Amino acid sequence: MHDSPALDLIDIQKSFGTHLALDDVGFQVPQQGVFGLLGPNGAGKTTLLRMLNGITAPDRGSISFFGESLSRNHLPSIGYLPEERGLYKSMRVGEQAMYFAQLRGMDKTDARSKLRNWFERLEVDGWWNKEVSEVSKGMAQKIQFILSVLHEPKLLILDEPLSGFDPINAQRVRDVLTELKSQGQTTILLSTHDMGSVEEMCDEVALLNHGKLVLQGAVPDLREAARDGRVEVTFRDSVMEFTVALGASAELIRVEEEVTFNGERRALLRLRDGTDQAEWLHWISRHVQLTSCAPWQPGMREIFIQAVDHQLKDKS
Amino acid sequence: MSRLRLIIFREWYTRVRRRAFILGTLLVPLLMAGLVGLGVWMEQVEIEQNKVLVVDLSGMISYWDDVREAWVPACPDCFPERSHLEYRFTDVALSDAEFLESDYTLMVLFDDGILQHQTAKYLYDKSPAVSTEKVVEGDLSSAIERFKVKEELTLNYEAYKRLKTTIRMVGEDVVTKDGNATGRSLIGFIFSFFMFVQIVNYGMHVMRGVIEEKANRIVEVVISVVKPIELMAGKIIGIGLVGVTQVVALTLLGFVVFKLGGISLEASGMLTASSNEGLDLDLETWMASNSTLGFLLDVNWPLMIGASLLYFVAGFFMYASIFAAIGSAIDQESDAQYLMIPAMLPLVASYIVAAMAIENPEGQVAIIGSYIPLTAPILMLIRLPLGVEWWELIGSFLGVVLTAYVFVRLSARIFRTGILMHGKKITFKELGRWMRHD
Repeated sequence: MHDSPALDLIDIQKSFGTHLALDDVGFQVPQQGVFGLLGPNGAGKTTLLRMLNGITAPDRGSISFFGESLSRNHLPSIGYLPEERGLYKSMRVGEQAMYFAQLRGMDKTDARSKLRNWFERLEVDGWWNKEVSEVSKGMAQKIQFILSVLHEPKLLILDEPLSGFDPINAQRVRDVLTELKSQGQTTILLSTHDMGSVEEMCDEVALLNHGKLVLQGAVPDLREAARDGRVEVTFRDSVMEFTVALGASAELIRVEEEVTFNGERRALLRLRDGTDQAEWLHWISRHVQLTSCAPWQPGMREIFIQAVDHQLKDKS
Repeated sequence: MSRLRLIIFREWYTRVRRRAFILGTLLVPLLMAGLVGLGVWMEQVEIEQNKVLVVDLSGMISYWDDVREAWVPACPDCFPERSHLEYRFTDVALSDAEFLESDYTLMVLFDDGILQHQTAKYLYDKSPAVSTEKVVEGDLSSAIERFKVKEELTLNYEAYKRLKTTIRMVGEDVVTKDGNATGRSLIGFIFSFFMFVQIVNYGMHVMRGVIEEKANRIVEVVISVVKPIELMAGKIIGIGLVGVTQVVALTLLGFVVFKLGGISLEASGMLTASSNEGLDLDLETWMASNSTLGFLLDVNWPLMIGASLLYFVAGFFMYASIFAAIGSAIDQESDAQYLMIPAMLPLVASYIVAAMAIENPEGQVAIIGSYIPLTAPILMLIRLPLGVEWWELIGSFLGVVLTAYVFVRLSARIFRTGILMHGKKITFKELGRWMRHD
């Protein structure tokens, strides 16, 4: 159980009427890291997160939670922050926080003391006795975030946790997540469209599209795989001169027409198979004024778009 | 605290602490007491100025007192001291002009003919209040009664008073069942109306609560911890308890107001009004002797209140589960209308039948309605003050309980599916499909 993944999803299938929401989805979420669950709208992420929270059940397939078949008994060990979230307007902030903490099985005294600490840490301590209707959206977001982490869950599921936060509070929440990650007690499953957060925090990701698993792996591996031998160069010549010089030595994927402040242009190339990069660099430098050349570092955004496009092409 | 109890407590507490609930609960009995008090006060204001000149032409109930040099009543107890009413006696009537110039408000004239025709004439400048007329009538009756007893050589008044019994008759026409039955069926209607309002009001609370949780997605967090059936049950029980709290609070407050009102009315001396002897009465005795309010004592209040509470609980569960299912199937309250129609129909029909049954509470429609579970909570209450067979009561109640159980089970099936469904217009066909899917 100690070595088991936090989550092991095997061949999950779920349909609503004739719509197939999840189609044989399977992946593992390792313990103690941050795992990103990505995908465009309608990909099946929310359906999957609801399954992990026991809200719905798969039609087929199995889910293991730290080596055990996921059941309602595990739910107190899971923290969940849904994307669209709310609070009861007719309750005070403090009593509402106590209510949810107790619903999660926390003892009253423990809940009160932990809530006080979290309220202080995220600077909402002055709002304990205020009505929820008086609280700003950002403040409510912080309270909801606190409620998802308060009971120190083994698995923390966050659906777009940073949406609605200003940059300062978004950073505060990121810091908390980084701290939880470094403490090694909590596995974080992060569902988001914010690729900056994915690059900053996630160790591994899974990408869903149209209910299918499109991509999965460690972030550095995915970036390397997505690089596909591409290099990024900057040069001082005209686009025409550069294209002519390049000839058939490399495939020109894109070139920026705009010149940077120091008179350079940027281009993305893929060298022909079997080309030695050092030799090619030596050769091309004799024909154009090359100012830099480095392996291309694709962002998660490019990887995301590329994977979704590939699936679309395969489908058509 | 278990999760279900937490949900129940939240639903109950967040509602009973609202100012609207507290004010509403307190205001109903206070408003009623205030209206009665206002009536009493207005009546007192009306009769405060009354000074009555009793013209006893035959000297039956008064005599000339040489010491006081004035006409005084032969029976002073018959004309007790009252702040609002003062008597003077004489054997000579004032002329109309003298009466108008005097400070008397009434002049009552009679001679020994009153023993036969039992009528006294009175003159006034400004018409007296009905209650003043009743008080003077009562006082004069007592005095004449005393005169009659004195005339009987074999009967002394003390013995007569011991033997005298005040009997209050409760009449019922064998054909029309009219008389006090109307008053009691009015009480039944008030209970039925209250039941209708409570079920609709708290049923809507349930529906709005479900819509709120669904619309702002709180439900996602809650049902990741508790089962949908627990959430629905917690909501219905919690809000139902708000209704029960209100009924209990109103009963207690009504009791307190009745007692306090009785004490203050007794202290004000108003309750001697219909007493022929001018004796102070307590509120219950006074009501018993009062032809308008006497029927209130014929109502079995513990049975009425107990049955109302039980029917409310069972009836509320029955309807609230439907309202919860409707709330779970829609995204906003405005979408509820077409789904609400079948749920509201039996309630509105019960109310209409109850309103018509004031005149004829033992009519066939009311009787049959009191057996049908969907209408029984409202229609049994209108029949109850007139008396129903125990088997009717128990059978009808068990029918409501059973129906409530079935409705809760079916609604839970709709609830667990509907609560997570967004942006889809739900049809009756779809609801039926969810219900069949176990």
